[in-house]
Amino acid sequence: MKWLGLALRNLKRHRGRVIGTVVGVAVSLMAFMILRTVIFAWTVAAEDAAQDRIATRHKVTFIMPLPKRYIDKIRATNGVSAATWANWFGGKHPKREQEFFATLAVDTDSFFDVYNDMVVPAEQLADWKQDRRGAIIGTSLAKKFGWKVGDKINLRGTIFPGTWSFNVRGVYTAVRRGIDPAQLIFHWQYLNESKVLPGDAKDLIGWVIARISDPKRSAAISKSIDDQFDGESDQTATMSERDLYVSFMGMFSAVLGAIDVISLVIIAIMGLILGNTIAMGVRERTNEYGVLRAIGFENRHLAGMILTEGLLIGVLGAVVGLALAYPLVNHGMGLWIEENMGSMFPYFRIPGTTMGLCLLIGLVLGTLAAAIPAYRTSKLSVVDALRRI
Amino acid sequence: MSEQNATPSGASVGETFVRLRNVSKIYQRGAEKLRVLDNIDLEIKAGAFEALMGPSGSGKTTLLNLIAGLDRPTDGTVEVGDTKLSALREGRLAKWRARHVGFVFQSFNLLPVLTAEQNVALPLLLTSLSSAERKKRALTALKVVGLSDRTNHFPRQLSGGQEQRVSIARAIVNDPDIIVADEPTGDLDRQSADEILDLLQKLNQEFNKTVLMVTHDPVAAERASLTRRLDKGSLQ
Amino acid sequence: MIPLSYNVRSLQARKVTNLLTALGIGLVVFVLATALMLTEGIKRTFALTGSDSTAIVIRKGSDAELSSWFDKKHQALVMAAAGVQQNADGKPAGVGEVVLVVIAKKQGTELLSNIRVRGVTENVLSFRPEVRIIQGRPAKPGTNEVLIGSQLVGRFEGMKLGNTFELKKNRPVRVVGVFESGGSSFESEIWADVDVLRSAFGREGAVTAVRVKLTSAAAFDGFKAAIESDKQLQLEALRESDYYAKQSEMTSAFVQMLGVSFSIFFALGAMIGAAITMHATVAQRRQEIGTLRAIGFGRLSVLGSFLVESLFLALVGGLLGLLGALAMGLVKFSMMNFNGWNEVVFSFVPTGAILIKALTFGGVMGIIGGFFPALRASRVVPAEAIRR
Repeated sequence: MKWLGLALRNLKRHRGRVIGTVVGVAVSLMAFMILRTVIFAWTVAAEDAAQDRIATRHKVTFIMPLPKRYIDKIRATNGVSAATWANWFGGKHPKREQEFFATLAVDTDSFFDVYNDMVVPAEQLADWKQDRRGAIIGTSLAKKFGWKVGDKINLRGTIFPGTWSFNVRGVYTAVRRGIDPAQLIFHWQYLNESKVLPGDAKDLIGWVIARISDPKRSAAISKSIDDQFDGESDQTATMSERDLYVSFMGMFSAVLGAIDVISLVIIAIMGLILGNTIAMGVRERTNEYGVLRAIGFENRHLAGMILTEGLLIGVLGAVVGLALAYPLVNHGMGLWIEENMGSMFPYFRIPGTTMGLCLLIGLVLGTLAAAIPAYRTSKLSVVDALRRI
Repeated sequence: MSEQNATPSGASVGETFVRLRNVSKIYQRGAEKLRVLDNIDLEIKAGAFEALMGPSGSGKTTLLNLIAGLDRPTDGTVEVGDTKLSALREGRLAKWRARHVGFVFQSFNLLPVLTAEQNVALPLLLTSLSSAERKKRALTALKVVGLSDRTNHFPRQLSGGQEQRVSIARAIVNDPDIIVADEPTGDLDRQSADEILDLLQKLNQEFNKTVLMVTHDPVAAERASLTRRLDKGSLQ
Repeated sequence: MIPLSYNVRSLQARKVTNLLTALGIGLVVFVLATALMLTEGIKRTFALTGSDSTAIVIRKGSDAELSSWFDKKHQALVMAAAGVQQNADGKPAGVGEVVLVVIAKKQGTELLSNIRVRGVTENVLSFRPEVRIIQGRPAKPGTNEVLIGSQLVGRFEGMKLGNTFELKKNRPVRVVGVFESGGSSFESEIWADVDVLRSAFGREGAVTAVRVKLTSAAAFDGFKAAIESDKQLQLEALRESDYYAKQSEMTSAFVQMLGVSFSIFFALGAMIGAAITMHATVAQRRQEIGTLRAIGFGRLSVLGSFLVESLFLALVGGLLGLLGALAMGLVKFSMMNFNGWNEVVFSFVPTGAILIKALTFGGVMGIIGGFFPALRASRVVPAEAIRR
């Protein structure tokens, strides 16, 4: 403890410099935390995926649909307790075409049973089931476009041409972190019965999502589903929800890699700022260290002092960075991102491990940054150190 | 602090306390070898107050540093009390300095961020004393140098003479055997210089400290019981 | 003016500190430059893919080839429209293609990604003369032979010359050639025979897009009018260059936004670093500054001199950052193109403008970071500073 006092006094010596460094460390760690949160948000869907859901899609290409009869075979498969399907619709807000959100045509009766983590109030669900043009939207989407239950809305179809109108009948709340809170869900029947669809495009379903009774048997059940369709013209690939998300991330692996690299770059910048401040202070005090050595202090004492100084700045910077980033991300930016980029980042909050990591980096990097000046000081002879002014 | 007729380490006044044999010191400056001290033999008695004079570059400070255990000779042996300094490793040497030597520098060398009392207590951080005990000893040392009323001042709030007295208090706080002073009056006006010399004399006479002082100033040298002269690395 | 050599020598005197500071600024310049280079690379890849005097016709309302499909019988109508160039044999210069994406495993990983498959007609190589077969030979029309883009090789499992893979069960195709097309996004595609693809995926009678060469770039308006005036067709004509610019818009904007916003973030940190260093420099050289002022240098000279020093420091760092960024030119970057759902390989393309922009950014950081310390230097009172 007696060294702590001395380290603190030394920090007060160049108040401006220390404050600058702490701010620098805080800003860097804030950027670091945001970058890590991007990576986390990208992977949270996989991490947090439902264990008891598996998805079946076309083996070769996800844009090719499956014959509707497949659903019955999947439902009859041993181990499957329920199954539903969805088709990608590709609708756009007619006035805000740049803003992407997911639109799905789903099986009315089973969809919200399988997706029990998309919670819709019972009477809204009942209303929706009654209305052929009914739609259920996510909380974020409702907020983003200002849509309310009872609104009549129009979307422009990109895959299925024309203007499609819907009645908002309900709003779902995503209770799992991996669920996109900005989707629009409507009846598959509405799509299937549309005149826009050519005859050979009818009775096709995009993909099937099944609930299984025993998550441990997920691989075996997936295989038995795929085996059933092996002889058909359209083979399937079935995988757990988690694997599905992981495979989706594959398309962005380079971006994730780049973000990883950038987050290391920021740590390097931070290390440079820290190292610079400490090296500067130590150099200015070379003569004092000489005096301390003369009156009997040993290198390890001086090293202890210098390292404590570095550690203090590092940890202080980390704490400030955390105090800034937490409200900014979890109560500001994160909400905006969930609303506007929910399909990519359904849950954008700083994870606890990242916060811990941030403190650890402050501590370790502060100490490391002080290690070089501490080492250099120890290499100086007392006589030389005393001569430096 | 002991008031008997013995030095703090137990050596009686008049016994040989510092012993240098065939001491040489060579500095390597690039390709050039600089012989700063040349074959010095020297004995200093316990309880002595000696002055070391000589022109700039004569090796005064180097000699002082060798005796104080700050530096090691290229050749020869340095013994202080029972300890053969030239045989000690760096860590041991530091511990030895902490227990046996008090330093007074020309430019005081106080830590600007610490108060007078904290500066004085600095060497005690290396002991296992409690903080209350450290404080008590620091205040006693400040009383000896006559600065009881300046304990909470920072160095920049003190005059040069006062700063040097704080540094003397720091030098004696751990009750050393020997006080080494390198130009202690070099940065001071006449009056402050006299006060500092009075204080060194008092430490020598009342507390039986062995005092070794490097100086340029003949007036200062007169206070010492013996003045040695060094020229081009050899004692005259 | 205080000579520049004074600043350079001063910087040399504190090598380690100044190098650390310069490196901090250099890293920021590096991040900014690489982000801009990648943005440029994305734009360039798509720009190379599209030409001014080629028109692409897709179903009205579909934003991209992938979501477009229309009846094959309209193809002849499109090719017969006004402004379409005729080949020497009297046939119109046009291709009707089918586009799909297939799932493929990334080389050496368990990750899956999408590759675009283009069903091409037999005149594809004469229609796209920039395409060069670098390995193997052209595919025989109507067979299960395919060509693959050079960027797929080594990036996805099974993508190499002589290999056979299944587009679908019992529909194996064989890679007989690898092609390059000057860095365009075609290099990330598989080209199969259009009819083989149609039958494999049950898309008989459909076409996703028709491309035609126009007699000149100016002929586009007439062509567009001809296509779109027939409301029955429900088709839309776009210049190929415009089409691809739009395709890359979202992806390049995404990269640019990410890069620029983080550069600004990082710049804050590096600027603080520069300010700290310059502050210490000023503090250490107080006496020197006092002397300069005493000799007769004015406040502005001192201010200017320290700003120049800081700028110089930043530019040295910036140049290091640019060197690093230029080295990224050797690296390929592969990511999903938002509009096509498929993975495309991009390169980092440096341009003069980007290098100047990034270096200027570094310089501005130096000036801002150095301003307050320089101001402090200019306020040194000579009499006090010399006495110290």
